Amino acid sequence: MPKHIVSGLKYLTAVELIREGYSQKEVAKILEMDRSTVSHYLNGRNLSWNSIEIAKKITEVCPKDFLILAYALMQDKARIVVKTCSVRDYKGIIKESCIGCGLCADICLMKAIVLNDLKAQIDSDWCCGCLICGESCPTNSIEILEVKNDF
Amino acid sequence: MISNTKEVKALDFEISRSAEEKRELLYKDDICIGCGICEKTCPVDAIELGSIGAIVRTGADVPKIVCDEDKCVLCGMCSVVCPVDALEFKIDDESIKDMDEYPQLINSAEINDDTCIYCKACETACPRDSITIARDLPDRSKLVTGEIEIDKETCIDCGICEEMCPADAITMEHKLPTPDDPTVSSDIIVDKDKCVYCLICKKSCPVSAIKAACRTCSYGEYDLNPEDYKTTGSSFIDHETCVKCGWCQEICPVDAATVVKTFDGELSIDQDTCQACGACVDICPCNVLSFPESTKAGKRPEKVMSDENYCIYCGACESVCPVKAIDVKRTGIKHTPTKSKSWEKQIESLKT
Repeated sequence: MPKHIVSGLKYLTAVELIREGYSQKEVAKILEMDRSTVSHYLNGRNLSWNSIEIAKKITEVCPKDFLILAYALMQDKARIVVKTCSVRDYKGIIKESCIGCGLCADICLMKAIVLNDLKAQIDSDWCCGCLICGESCPTNSIEILEVKNDF
Repeated sequence: MISNTKEVKALDFEISRSAEEKRELLYKDDICIGCGICEKTCPVDAIELGSIGAIVRTGADVPKIVCDEDKCVLCGMCSVVCPVDALEFKIDDESIKDMDEYPQLINSAEINDDTCIYCKACETACPRDSITIARDLPDRSKLVTGEIEIDKETCIDCGICEEMCPADAITMEHKLPTPDDPTVSSDIIVDKDKCVYCLICKKSCPVSAIKAACRTCSYGEYDLNPEDYKTTGSSFIDHETCVKCGWCQEICPVDAATVVKTFDGELSIDQDTCQACGACVDICPCNVLSFPESTKAGKRPEKVMSDENYCIYCGACESVCPVKAIDVKRTGIKHTPTKSKSWEKQIESLKT
């Protein structure tokens, strides 16, 4: 079953990436799959519509649950899936009180945070709005704003 | 889940976290002066200063500070503000002292070897035994000239000159007399590298067998090379233990030592409150505090006195004083700039 969900998530990601203008070759590279598998996916082969439906539902749950579920299923590959399939956009604001401890950067499963001049910096492209960083921040310096919601 | 690991070695500890990067905080208890600046600065209250008064006075085997590894977020702030580098912070094995984005306290202690006359005053005065002066003394024989000769025919081998010579320059080869050689000495030798031509041997010889003259007096320094008088050497400051207190600078007779202190400030002692317990005297890493000599036997010593020339305004005495008789004010902090507002704020908050 988890395998089917992974396929469903990869299918959704592939479709979305193609829609964004990536070639099949590029999509295969991004998802670390065979080009033929990508092609099969895009033609709706080797895949049950049930898996896609479940995968779709998963992309729509709250961002933290989506990320944790995806991460549990596919570890680091979850990053691109969550980034591509997320229906919401976020913007992270780091307050002046940030002490640059790097805990958020260590904890961020999306690897969306880097430190710059002793201050965290959130890459909005990668931020999935899970708020895990904010929960761990010792100085409460992280604010995540939802800037777009297509759901 | 990402969490810190802590390793304790005797009184030292290491806290580390490895994820995107490896962060490590290393504490060395023998360098720590127990000032508590780290405790005041820690943004997550992970550091607690121990009962330093008791630790210093009893030599108890307990660390001066304790850091809760569950609270510590490894930001490195304690390391930056530690005035004596007892806390070291590394990211991916590189010390943050070598990273431009981290601010540093500005302080230094230097001895200029060109000016230094190697008198060792600083070495003696340094309260942390951080200074080593290695010196090469001039050759004694090059500072005096003269002539000396012992007439071995006249000499009766009495050995008086050997005993009298203050420079141990005369040696007699003592021996037991035998029928075929009824003398008590086989030879008498003058070591001209040791002889200072003081003429004591000549004056004390009972048979006037020694002819000696000192040329240094009559010819002055005419035939001496001034270069030969010089004491040469080198100075070394152990920056790991040096607290930049300024003793070397104050005591140096030729102004060869320069010390830059991190903090400007003021130290005041309320003589009425002070109970002369001496805890501050014991904790002070800079020998700033002392009790004046008792004026009369059996008289209770005067209250504690201080010489601010040597104070680094670390505040250890203030926190150890059981009756709050000491007030340490920090009015200025020298540090390299930082772009981080929170770091700037935490460092500036050390001003009182």
